[in-house]
Amino acid sequence: MNYKLNKFSEETFGSLFFSKLSKLNFFIITSLILLGLVGVASLYSAAGGNWDPWANNHLIRLIFGIFLMLILAFLPHKIFLKLSVISFIIGILSLILVKFIGTGNVQRWITIGGINFQPSEAMKLALILILARYFDHISRIELDKLKTYFLPIFLIFLPGFLVISQPDLGTGLTIIVLGLAILFFVGISMKFIILCFILLASSIPLIWNQLYDYQKDRILVFLNPEIDSLGSGYQIIQSKIAIGSGGFFGKGYLLGSQSRLNYLPEKHTDFIFTLISEELGFLGSISIILIFCILITSIIKISFRVKSLFSKIVTFGIGFLLFLYLSLNIGMVCGLLPVVGAPLPLISYGGTSLLTVLIASGIVLSIDIHDKEIV
Amino acid sequence: MKNKSQKYLENVISKRFFLLSILKGVVVGAIGWRFFDLQMIENRKYEKLSDENQFNFYMIAPERGRILDRKMRLLAGNMDGFSLVLKWNKNINVDNVIKKILKIVNISKKDLNNFYDEIKSDKKVFAKEILITKKLSQKDVSKLAVRSIEFPEVNFLMTKKRVYPQGILVGHITGYVGPYSKKDTKIKLKSNTAWFEIGKTGLEKYFDNDLRGTFGRKRDEVTSKGHIVASQVYENTISGNDIQTSLDMELQAFAVERFEKGSNTLVSIHDDNVKKQIEKLKNISYVNQDYVYKDKKNRIVNPQSGSLIVMDIENGEVICCVSSPGYDPNIFSNDLEIDVWNNLKNNSRAPLLNRSMSGVYPPGSTIKMAVALAALENGIIDYNTKFYCDGAKKLGESTFHCWAKDGHGKLNLIEAIEQSCDVYFYELGLKVGIDKIALMMKRLGLGQYYNIEINDKSKGVVPNIEWKLKRDGLQWSMGETLNASIGQGYLLTTPLQLTTMIARIANGKFSVTPTLLMNQNKNKFEALKINPQHIGFIKKSMERVVKGNNGTARNYQIGSKKIEMAGKTGTVQVVRISEAEREKGLIKNEDRPWKKRDHALFVGYAPASKPKYAITVVVEHGGSGSSVAAPIARDVFKYIFKV
Repeated sequence: MNYKLNKFSEETFGSLFFSKLSKLNFFIITSLILLGLVGVASLYSAAGGNWDPWANNHLIRLIFGIFLMLILAFLPHKIFLKLSVISFIIGILSLILVKFIGTGNVQRWITIGGINFQPSEAMKLALILILARYFDHISRIELDKLKTYFLPIFLIFLPGFLVISQPDLGTGLTIIVLGLAILFFVGISMKFIILCFILLASSIPLIWNQLYDYQKDRILVFLNPEIDSLGSGYQIIQSKIAIGSGGFFGKGYLLGSQSRLNYLPEKHTDFIFTLISEELGFLGSISIILIFCILITSIIKISFRVKSLFSKIVTFGIGFLLFLYLSLNIGMVCGLLPVVGAPLPLISYGGTSLLTVLIASGIVLSIDIHDKEIV
Repeated sequence: MKNKSQKYLENVISKRFFLLSILKGVVVGAIGWRFFDLQMIENRKYEKLSDENQFNFYMIAPERGRILDRKMRLLAGNMDGFSLVLKWNKNINVDNVIKKILKIVNISKKDLNNFYDEIKSDKKVFAKEILITKKLSQKDVSKLAVRSIEFPEVNFLMTKKRVYPQGILVGHITGYVGPYSKKDTKIKLKSNTAWFEIGKTGLEKYFDNDLRGTFGRKRDEVTSKGHIVASQVYENTISGNDIQTSLDMELQAFAVERFEKGSNTLVSIHDDNVKKQIEKLKNISYVNQDYVYKDKKNRIVNPQSGSLIVMDIENGEVICCVSSPGYDPNIFSNDLEIDVWNNLKNNSRAPLLNRSMSGVYPPGSTIKMAVALAALENGIIDYNTKFYCDGAKKLGESTFHCWAKDGHGKLNLIEAIEQSCDVYFYELGLKVGIDKIALMMKRLGLGQYYNIEINDKSKGVVPNIEWKLKRDGLQWSMGETLNASIGQGYLLTTPLQLTTMIARIANGKFSVTPTLLMNQNKNKFEALKINPQHIGFIKKSMERVVKGNNGTARNYQIGSKKIEMAGKTGTVQVVRISEAEREKGLIKNEDRPWKKRDHALFVGYAPASKPKYAITVVVEHGGSGSSVAAPIARDVFKYIFKV
């Protein structure tokens, strides 16, 4: 005990900072910065070779976000454990709030001091934290019991349905899938999973009726884009044309005709990867997917190593969240999934998702640094 | 206990971790494969689609080649015109734009219909240029230009309009152009080329490929909203080739006028008497809007209809080719109005028919040279063989009459041709037989198409035993041989074929074939293979037709010491005359209704001493060949040789 104290007192703030700095995960930071810069470059191209209106904003947000991430990385990870409940409650409240004061034609954003904030994005992170905290808190024996999962399921579906009712089917489903993946991860019994599947399958007609017409359209069009080649199917057809016409090397940076001539819808947000595929080709697309894979693997590797269940669940959850972002977005633009409206983290234009990912990465880095010290 | 459960948990987590990693691997693999599929395997397909998005492709019409006469006078050329084009995209309110334009200028219904069809035609295109009309006058253009700010989507284009400066004179030969439609050509044109024109008839059709030239190509880069960002001509147009025809427009103009007049006289419609008469009649064609023709009985009549062809007997060049009534091909270049079209189509005299090549007529007595040559070549008669004509020939129960009611008496071949004795040729026909006559007719150019540069032409009919058996399954009868021997019955020829026949006789050495081009047929005719002595004899008898004391055309000599014409008249009965009618006495030709009058024919060549040109005149329902057709031929020759 004394020894420990002594050692602690010997360390100056400076040496502590540098020891932490040296422990930062190089892979994660490099791939984050790389992807962020790819985002800036793509947004520059999306504006037809202009910093305005997207690329400059994105760069500023990126720099700010990375700063924030590094600050979080140096904080002890116990703080996130302590903040988890309050952040979840704030998240839920803002989701309810957005119903009343939300802006945008579908109520997804809250405007605070001129900055648009999308609570559903932040909710994903809050959910990971609260679930991690819950499972960390309860006795490990109770994990075998079914009733242990009632509260987590409530915690998952409450924000899930709030977001779906915004209406934002894509993000809502992401939240639910993310939560269920965490339950699966901590070892919920297979019987329960099967039960869930049956419940979900039987509620599909119910959900279908709850969907807005445009959401139904999207799903129908996904199944057959040609039914409406100028309407809802237009996006996906044009997106596939852009990707396919890119070929192996692409049409060249700033030279994508589909994006330059505005055939690509939402080319600066959800469909930004299409622009990249068109201009940089198969080579570029696969490279970027690869960088994402390195990022996700690095994060998940941490969860394998850390000791506390909280850290395990948080790192796994964040890794899985990134994976969901990636697969939903890219699956959507290449026509494997319906158009659900999911941004590509770090690359799509949009502050909330960028900051969410960077904050999440900050938490991961913090766990990576600190969880090793305290066994 | 705690340790154990912790171990268990870690075990579970590891397992689940593994399962989820597999899931992730599968998903990323699927995405990777999808991109490989889209970008590597199906790359071509999407590249094409992307190009179709990026560019709108257009064809640019080249300038059409001109059609010229032998002295480089213009028969068909191009004039600058103005077109109105809408830069259409799916966001434009078309009806609004059209409404605004219609307030300023008139656009024909036909054009508007085409315009709307074009919009509907290709639903996958978001933006294109669509022709509204190409018939803007200079006035319309300036009216529109002043207010063009109200419809920025509308563009003016300089386009070429086909013009035929000779108007009605050679409409049948030049033909006309019309808008391209898919069934017209094998060339695949994109839908946005709808306003390009292709030849529909005549030389315009036959030489369409040469005249048309090569299309240029242009592409517009368009945004998804249909705004044209850039426009690039990446293949230039190549103008079409000019075509020099063998026609002589000076002669053609004279011939048309002379032919239409026939043996009638020109009177002014401002004359009170004439006015009254015109009011009673329907469908009288005016001459130069102020005159009409009046026949010898002071009746107002239409211009003569029929055909007149003049052809060079050495090289087959057609230097004059009249088909009356004609039509003005310019009406097709302008907006063809429905009543004008109906008038043309329903006119009982069929102005659209090119009588020179598509019209078939029984040749009548003009065929007698062929029958005589068949007899001579087969050694059936000699130059002195005589037959007796008493005005009719009995064959079985039927009687075949000669045109001279009282007969010609005893006469030889040269006299028979000079006086056109029918009975003599009945006798010849019986002796020679139809098959040999048909062979000679074919050798002289009847019953066949030529490679003349017009698509629509008739073959005519040269009957023989086999032909009848094939067509009707019936045996050939002797009576039919008699009919064929004087150019009646089944026998049918076009004026062009008769001209060719005369040219071959006048030439005597080669099987001349007609052409409408300059310098087309140089030394490439086959030999005629007819005894030149026989030819000489026939030519002499044709000279007698004009110069002989009893010649059927003796009243219409050119009268020059140097130049005289030779020929043969023909008068073709259109209606069968029954024995009862014959007993009563024939109604005079000019007293019958027009449709029942005889056709008047004359075939010939000049100068008689050293033949140069062959001529055929066919005047439909004109009366007798000697009094109506021969003088036209004489006047044309007079004009050609300036005597």
